[in-house]
Amino acid sequence: MIREKETTLYIGPQHPGITGNMMVKLKVQGDTVVKATTHVGYLHRAFEKLIEQRNWLNAFTLLCRFCVPEPDPMELTYARAVEELDNREVPERAQYIRVIVMELARLQSFMLWYAGQAGSAGLYTLGQWSVGDRNYILDLFEELTGGRIYHMYIWPGGVRRDVTDTWKDKVLKTMDYLEKRQDDYNQLMFDNTIFQKRAKGVGIVPKDKAIEWGVVGPPLRGVGIKSDVRIDEPYEVYDKLDFEVPTAKGGDVWARALVRKEEFRQSISIIRQAIEKMPKGDYYNKVPNPMKWTVPAGQAWAKTESVRGEIGFYVVSNGTNKPYRVHAKGAAYTHGVTVLEKVLLGQNIADISFIMNSLGVCPPEIER
Amino acid sequence: MTELIKEQHLLDSLTSAFKIKGRVIRDRRVEVFADKKMVSGILLFAKKQLGFIHLAHMTCIDWIDENKFELIYTIWSPIEKIHLFVKTKIERENPEMENIDSIWDQANTYEREIREMFGIQFPGLIGEQDFALEDWDEMPPMRKDFDTKKYALETYYQRPGREDAKDVRETISERSGTKVPDFAKKYSREK
Repeated sequence: MIREKETTLYIGPQHPGITGNMMVKLKVQGDTVVKATTHVGYLHRAFEKLIEQRNWLNAFTLLCRFCVPEPDPMELTYARAVEELDNREVPERAQYIRVIVMELARLQSFMLWYAGQAGSAGLYTLGQWSVGDRNYILDLFEELTGGRIYHMYIWPGGVRRDVTDTWKDKVLKTMDYLEKRQDDYNQLMFDNTIFQKRAKGVGIVPKDKAIEWGVVGPPLRGVGIKSDVRIDEPYEVYDKLDFEVPTAKGGDVWARALVRKEEFRQSISIIRQAIEKMPKGDYYNKVPNPMKWTVPAGQAWAKTESVRGEIGFYVVSNGTNKPYRVHAKGAAYTHGVTVLEKVLLGQNIADISFIMNSLGVCPPEIER
Repeated sequence: MTELIKEQHLLDSLTSAFKIKGRVIRDRRVEVFADKKMVSGILLFAKKQLGFIHLAHMTCIDWIDENKFELIYTIWSPIEKIHLFVKTKIERENPEMENIDSIWDQANTYEREIREMFGIQFPGLIGEQDFALEDWDEMPPMRKDFDTKKYALETYYQRPGREDAKDVRETISERSGTKVPDFAKKYSREK
């Protein structure tokens, strides 16, 4: 057997397959990866430092930009941490609205995932369908919040505007449409031999190492571990809603795709239940004067479940009108660095972006 | 409070094993304060004996008035469903903290970031290269005494004509000697 020469290969920071601006430095033998080192720093915007110089509510304009495909979980997590510091109650109606917004955000992010995951396997049609349909959700967001991608809608104490009955009807109709459309997506993705052959046995996360490595969200459920912040540490009104936490076996790209496929259904079901059960009442426990509002000194940790896994915020107040320290930890912080470096070993160069999409690597979230 | 038995039990097992102080913050939240030399021992004990197998988060706070850095390790037990915060304060001068990436691999990422942003050294940390900042030789930027505005003013220059935040149309008209048309004037800041 001829031993192949080891070559160094740089993928990114500008690369169509990479999920954002980051670089993976590879040592390859032939087509096989023998060492992978990640390098971030192309998107560092010093958000945490900037937040320390703004008042409690101004932080929202920065928070939602931590990770472009998923702005809402950041808002909610920070809001919940601030509410804990301030002992601020959230009206029940607002909690239901938050759940609907979070699940809509989850759906639109799933649709971007469909596009990325299929696109990196060469199935471009699916991406055009799902990103096209994603606009229907963005329309709903635009009507509710004024913004399509970044909303700054969830605030400490509730949400900024109430929902109308017309909007709720539109949401339900959109859900009916998406439920039918998902069958089309699935047919194109899961019934496709190309996708099956690409996804099965690729990018395996070992079950015994998963939690220790810091794997969360769908990749963790893809190894058969039932873990979801919505169940483990219920927030808002998730404990009053009936939904399943799907799992799969194998820990490969295929297993993670199966988990996401089922979670899409569960999100639609959660939205329908939340709309049905939503009570009348207040939607906002008003913050006194946003510019002068001070939050009692203390430290709080809040976490929520995003599409990629748990997102946590550690918020510290020293009793002034500005946060003393805000630290955000998203799922990509582990998935995109240490986990990716391990999972890529022994994989084919062609599968790198495929695996990155599957793990939900979001570079702007790593460096913030 | 009867519903916090689980949390109290965890706190008792930690305080009896290590002679440290701590408290139950609320349901699912327990914190302990430890000396910096004891942190890795507590983390290892919590991981191996108490089932806290997931390192959820690690961060640093700069308490400049106390002249201390506070390091916080947040660990999670999937069985007990409790977050345990292990907190320690270290001196701000020549800060050094024990490296825990042999307990959790992913701690490496957190420690590299903290080393870069706060200047805390973790002896034995693998990954010598920079994390997010490249060729940075200033003060670690997340320290409270790093002045963002001063750094920006010294490092970057103002776009010519924008020094006094004047309306850009007027600056251009002054420079080129042309008049600002009437329809544009009503939007001007100087009326």
